[in-house]
Amino acid sequence: MSFKYPVVMPKMSMTMETGELLLFHVKVGDQVKSGDVLFEVMTDKIDMEVEAPADGVIESLVGNPGDVIEIGKPVLIMLTETEVMAFDFGGDSAAPVAEPVAPVVAAPVVVEPVVTAPVVQQVAPTPPPVAQPVAPVAAAPIIVNTSVKAVPKARVEAANRGIDLRTVHPTGPDRTITFSDVNSAQVDPAVLKRQAANKALIAKGIEMTRGIAQASFNRRANANFDHAQLISAWAKVLRGRPDLAVHQHVGVSLIIESKYGSALPVFRDPDLVSVDQLRTLVASTTEAAKNGKVPIAMLSGGTTTIFDLTTYSMSSATPLLFPNQVTSLTIGYDSESTKNISLTIDLNFCDFYDGALLLDALIASL
Amino acid sequence: MSDRMLTMAEAVREAMSIAFDERPEVFLLGEDVGIYGGAFGVSGDMYHRYGSERVLDTPIAELGIVGAAVGAALSGMRPIVEIQFSDFTAQAMDQIANQAAKIHFMLGGALHVPMVLRTPQGSGTGAAAQHSQNLEPWFASVPGLKVVVPSNPADAKGLLLASIDDPNPVIFLEHKLLYKIPGRDPVPEGSERIPLGVAKVVREGKDLTIVATGIMVNKSYEVCEKLAAEGISVTLIDPRTISPLDMQPVYESVEKTGRLMVVQEGPAHAGFINEVIAQMAGSSSFGSLIAPIKRLAGMNIPIPYAPQLEKAAVPQIEDIEAAAREIVKNWR
Repeated sequence: MSFKYPVVMPKMSMTMETGELLLFHVKVGDQVKSGDVLFEVMTDKIDMEVEAPADGVIESLVGNPGDVIEIGKPVLIMLTETEVMAFDFGGDSAAPVAEPVAPVVAAPVVVEPVVTAPVVQQVAPTPPPVAQPVAPVAAAPIIVNTSVKAVPKARVEAANRGIDLRTVHPTGPDRTITFSDVNSAQVDPAVLKRQAANKALIAKGIEMTRGIAQASFNRRANANFDHAQLISAWAKVLRGRPDLAVHQHVGVSLIIESKYGSALPVFRDPDLVSVDQLRTLVASTTEAAKNGKVPIAMLSGGTTTIFDLTTYSMSSATPLLFPNQVTSLTIGYDSESTKNISLTIDLNFCDFYDGALLLDALIASL
Repeated sequence: MSDRMLTMAEAVREAMSIAFDERPEVFLLGEDVGIYGGAFGVSGDMYHRYGSERVLDTPIAELGIVGAAVGAALSGMRPIVEIQFSDFTAQAMDQIANQAAKIHFMLGGALHVPMVLRTPQGSGTGAAAQHSQNLEPWFASVPGLKVVVPSNPADAKGLLLASIDDPNPVIFLEHKLLYKIPGRDPVPEGSERIPLGVAKVVREGKDLTIVATGIMVNKSYEVCEKLAAEGISVTLIDPRTISPLDMQPVYESVEKTGRLMVVQEGPAHAGFINEVIAQMAGSSSFGSLIAPIKRLAGMNIPIPYAPQLEKAAVPQIEDIEAAAREIVKNWR
């Protein structure tokens, strides 16, 4: 059976509330394939082509070129046989109009307010929050460009102005960001606001204003990584997001269980040494922790925490945030060749988009 | 001001003549430099003006010629060696690279080798693979040698006079195709030197920086003129001496233009011009680049005999023009 599916005005930046419909690339009755350009929209920052999320037929056009449309509101309706579409970052939770509507399924975002736990709790073997791993980008055309190509001066300019190069549309050869691409980009006020807020939090001593809003994400990854590779890769990902930093360094805390209790040795700036060096350190530290002997110097300075559940044959858990930390990871058993990686983020510091980006970047680098 | 328009052969001859007149220890030796006037006519009538004591015709034995010059230089003379084709320096490389370049260093500075080795290089004469090479990197990679690549008669005169003054061995690489054509600028009458190790900004622009050596300076200049008429303004820099290399004007220019293109005649692989790219990539001016650095160089093949293939093997004006347009158009 075929479903009606509304293709909505996407949310393309943190601050976007409406977008202007520039023109349609299709007309009623057109057959389209997944990835075909349906229409173009413009915001105060970028112009963007919106693509078909699935194969189908254009049933009706809702808006007219020139209309300013709220995010999440339909721009056109298509008919599709496809039953599963990737989740949509863009819309608010309000479901788009039209019915019967194809199931806008599999949002891998589980939002649950979890009280920040100061101590490790044994985590129950909850079922994974998401049935299927879902590609993080599809229907909503947010530009997620994890390996950005940019000319040197574009990087200099972006760094000076606090512009995230992943949000800049590349017009140069081979999708390279040119200097003028950055020059004409605008600083995302949300990023500046967040950076300022983080600084204020640090100044005030962080804990006072921490709320309890957290979000967890879960994705499946190949299992061919060890603790050293994971710690190193995660530290690299976090280092790439100084706007999330509440400390001047990256300290990855690895939970190691032993008969003496839980030890949380911290690997400071582990991405700045080679993975081989780190592997030796992780092995000796793990061995020491199992004997109840972690060096005192390694017991403080954590900025993120990793809990590996695979030794307990658990598949997934919601990782808990420790005080003064914005992120934490758990690793769960999935199959012989795959593992579940769960990420929890503090919504005071980042949003769902950031969470998806972080997890995506981690898995891409493993 | 003089407005004499000389060819490079005439300018080189004039520089040698001035040095002959200034210093009795200067002399010229090489194959056919005397009675015949040089394979490319550079020494011309000097044999008749200065006599066989100072313009020496030698046997066809490059190792012996350079060896004799090194020995003469060590004992207080200032020899100018002419090797008929730069390709033949391969025969003399032990004297050049192992003796001339190193004696000053290996003897604690007690002796020096004030020798100039002049030799024509380059393709475009239909002389095939063993008479057409551009060997700039051979010499530029030997510490102890200075390497000069003049692109025009006026520079050739001033640089050759400075090379003869220099206490170090200097390799002076003249392009055959430039011998017979007058330069753009008049050649001054006097004996003014052009210091070694100082690059020349041939023209200034704001859209692109081209660094080129030897004959490629001339080809690039024509491209600059053509593009200027369309509103694309190009800075053209001629290093003039490739060892030592003066990068400062290149940095300063790239900080304005953001785009760098380098052009050389010799093969791209491990060529001299790559040094310009390497130094730029390691400099603080790197962050000014708004485009990938473009390199135009010869193909990695021996120079072919067939004229159309010979032409295709090294950058031509059309190639430089197309590349310059592309880099300016694509990277903004």
